[in-house]
Amino acid sequence: MLTIKNLEKRFGSLKALDDVSVEVEDDCIVGLIGPNGSGKTTLFNVVSGFYEKDGGEIFFKGARIDGLPPNKIAKKGLCRTFQVSKAPEKMTVLENMLLAAEHQIGEDPFSALFMRSRVQKSEKTNLERALELLDMLQLSQLKNDYAGDLSGGQKKLLSLGRVFMLKPDMILLDEPTAGVNPTLRVQLMEAIRQLQKMERKAFFIIEHSMKVISSICDKVYVLNFGQKIAEGTPEEIQQNEQVLEAYLSGA
Amino acid sequence: MPIINFIIYLLTMIGIYSLLAMSLNFQVGFTGLINFGQVAFFCIGAYTSSLLVVNAGVPVVVAFLAAMALSGIFGYIMSIPTKSLKSDYWAIATLASGEIVRLVALNEAWLTAGPFGVMGIPQILKDLIPKDAYPVFYLLFVIACIIMVYIFLSMLTNSPFGRNLKAIRDEEELCLSLGKDTQQLKLQAMIVAGTVGGLAGSLFAFYIQFISPENFKPIETFLMWAMIIVGGRGNFKGAIIGAVVIQLFNVSTRFLGNYVPLGSDSMAALRMMIIGVLIILFLLYRPEGLIKEKKKIYD
Repeated sequence: MLTIKNLEKRFGSLKALDDVSVEVEDDCIVGLIGPNGSGKTTLFNVVSGFYEKDGGEIFFKGARIDGLPPNKIAKKGLCRTFQVSKAPEKMTVLENMLLAAEHQIGEDPFSALFMRSRVQKSEKTNLERALELLDMLQLSQLKNDYAGDLSGGQKKLLSLGRVFMLKPDMILLDEPTAGVNPTLRVQLMEAIRQLQKMERKAFFIIEHSMKVISSICDKVYVLNFGQKIAEGTPEEIQQNEQVLEAYLSGA
Repeated sequence: MPIINFIIYLLTMIGIYSLLAMSLNFQVGFTGLINFGQVAFFCIGAYTSSLLVVNAGVPVVVAFLAAMALSGIFGYIMSIPTKSLKSDYWAIATLASGEIVRLVALNEAWLTAGPFGVMGIPQILKDLIPKDAYPVFYLLFVIACIIMVYIFLSMLTNSPFGRNLKAIRDEEELCLSLGKDTQQLKLQAMIVAGTVGGLAGSLFAFYIQFISPENFKPIETFLMWAMIIVGGRGNFKGAIIGAVVIQLFNVSTRFLGNYVPLGSDSMAALRMMIIGVLIILFLLYRPEGLIKEKKKIYD
């Protein structure tokens, strides 16, 4: 689904990504770990089009996507969340969910004015799906609260909800469970697992919790100082000398 | 009688500025586009419609539509730099666009008659309306325009399109990550706003019957901003109320000048100072304005 070949990104003299190659196969969950500052979020930013790469190639569903603007990449079915959740302050939780819905009618002035009955119909369908998802994410109580008033963890949940509304083929999640309470965290992971099984979506997840990684990931990549230092199943990674050293010395 | 005429004049001017404030609110309050050149739409609308009628003898309806279209196109042009400029730098660029439009009107005398302005703009439907009733007729015409624009803009802001605009205002990067073409959306928003501004300009020209570059100084944009700061952003009622408050003060104090022992220059300066103080007070103590943005509830 996603193939990253020899990707490079420099900030001045700092090599934030140094010859990184990653492969995410169809319908599987791949984890990305590494100490702080190892380049995980930078990798996401380059793949999703927010940063320009300095070298290498990125393929999604067989087509080159490097160099495309973020909105085009999202439209192709590769969607991301942010490490620090973005939540439009003066829009309610429900508005946030509807904002993300795929194939909306009425997103330009012309159809908004002249295709009102079709707009209402699509809004109704999207609203039903949004309410279902909010239920799953335990945000139903807050559906008419401003997203700006949510807690950090709730904003994380909302970002997940938005991504699910968009129904992309592949989802990049940047620390989806940071700040989410442990019970809900397990449920979230379960939800991601289920979604992957039912709708056969691919996930690429940055996560610090080894517990989360080993419970859901099929494969894990490890970055350190912008370089890929290991890849393998969660069990293999946990035994890897280099990985242990990177994490311990980093602390 | 003069007092009634004055009140009708005041209401008509409030009406015309309400349209400008609604258009500005659509940009600032809904899309987060900080436009300091709003007066450009007003100017282009006024000049286009009046020149088409006075010089080319085009029917008024066509002239109004052309004025709205041209202002809309100017909105499109203004939106182009949003691609590469961050919002604060874009704001400065818009300040320049407003002045460029006025300076073109001032200097391209072959077209605009330069500083002499466009004179002899005819009254609309003059033959059909009795002379005494004309001011009231025009006021009603302006009010009808306000109602139409209010409905038009509300339909837009309540649609998925409007939701996208609000999301650009609050979190542009998020919009991009959800696959929204934010550049395209800003462009569309500016065209819509420009069209409304052009309508206001046409209404102004055919009301005053004489326009010159003097009418379109940056201070006008400042007044429109004062309206949405006082009235409140993110809703059109606020824009209208802001226009009432600011115009009431701005226009009526012009006539109070006769009763205050100050020169007209000092009066004009004092008026702007008071509006400035009003803006500061609102920003400090009631930043959301008189009317708050309404929460959109789905059920």
